[in-house]
Amino acid sequence: MRHVGGARRGLDMWLLQRASAIYMAVFLLVFLICFLAAGPIDFVTWHGLFAPLAMKVGALLFVAALLVHAWIGLREIFIDYVHFLVPRLALYLAFGALYLGCLVWTVDILWSVK
Amino acid sequence: MKFRIYRYDPESGAAPRMQDYDIDFDPRGKKVLDALIAIKDTLDESLSFRRSCREGVCGSDGVNVNGTNVLACITALEGLKEPITIRPLPRLGVIRDLIVDMAQFYQHYRAVKPYLINLDPEPENERLQTPEDRAELDGLWECILCGCCTTSCPSFWWNPDKFLGPAALLQGYRFIADTRDQATNERLDYLEDPYRLFRCHGIMNCVEVCPKGLNPTEAVGKIKSLLVKRAL
Repeated sequence: MRHVGGARRGLDMWLLQRASAIYMAVFLLVFLICFLAAGPIDFVTWHGLFAPLAMKVGALLFVAALLVHAWIGLREIFIDYVHFLVPRLALYLAFGALYLGCLVWTVDILWSVK
Repeated sequence: MKFRIYRYDPESGAAPRMQDYDIDFDPRGKKVLDALIAIKDTLDESLSFRRSCREGVCGSDGVNVNGTNVLACITALEGLKEPITIRPLPRLGVIRDLIVDMAQFYQHYRAVKPYLINLDPEPENERLQTPEDRAELDGLWECILCGCCTTSCPSFWWNPDKFLGPAALLQGYRFIADTRDQATNERLDYLEDPYRLFRCHGIMNCVEVCPKGLNPTEAVGKIKSLLVKRAL
């Protein structure tokens, strides 16, 4: 059978990878400013840095962006190197599950800061 | 001068091998193609390679010299490390010695419909463009389809049947950028695919090796920008 390509596909992933990269860059800059403004870092200031809801949400989005970025990057690698459907699909799903787990874990960590 | 050249004759049944040649040849002002012709003339008439214009216009003598894809006819011998290792362009099937099977490369080229699609009645003389619109095509039309870029692209190595490769994408953009063309949307439709366009990861080997100094990566970036503009 002839290989058929999927028209109107591929752009979303590419765009999402760029968008997540931009968010990560912006967040890291903002976080660095907050970090430097917080003064000498000890447990109390580090704890206080993550106390506001805005920082929790920002950090959670950062981790989400990181995981999306990483998953799309891995997907690119799998498309390049893993040419058989079953192992490729298994890798997609395995890393998808792993990264989703990381995200849930991040929620638990961030919201444990009272 | 010492040369080490890839030899393969499918009719003999023997595996490909590297053959050493030692030829008395003054490299001053001479190109790799001159040496290949001299070797064929004086040492080994069975050595096979493509060449035609011998001045970097026809694009038929793309080979891999000391690990870099070049046109043999415009690559100076002076400064090349000896033994000068000459192999066929990577990843394409070898027909014989330095002659590769370009069928896949041309198939990708045909796939981007490298011709003007304009359904308006043909004008009396020609379809005119403003000088600014015409300038958009500079850096695109000069491609001679030698295959140096596409065969140096790792994305093409991994998916040669599905990824179009820098040469075809550059030509795809050449017609997308043409104001006289009316099939822009269909062209973008064809390219919006995880393989055909989006296997390009901006490695830029194509830019490094292009004997005409063109920039396929930039063209790919422009296609991506157009896709984004169209989608949003």
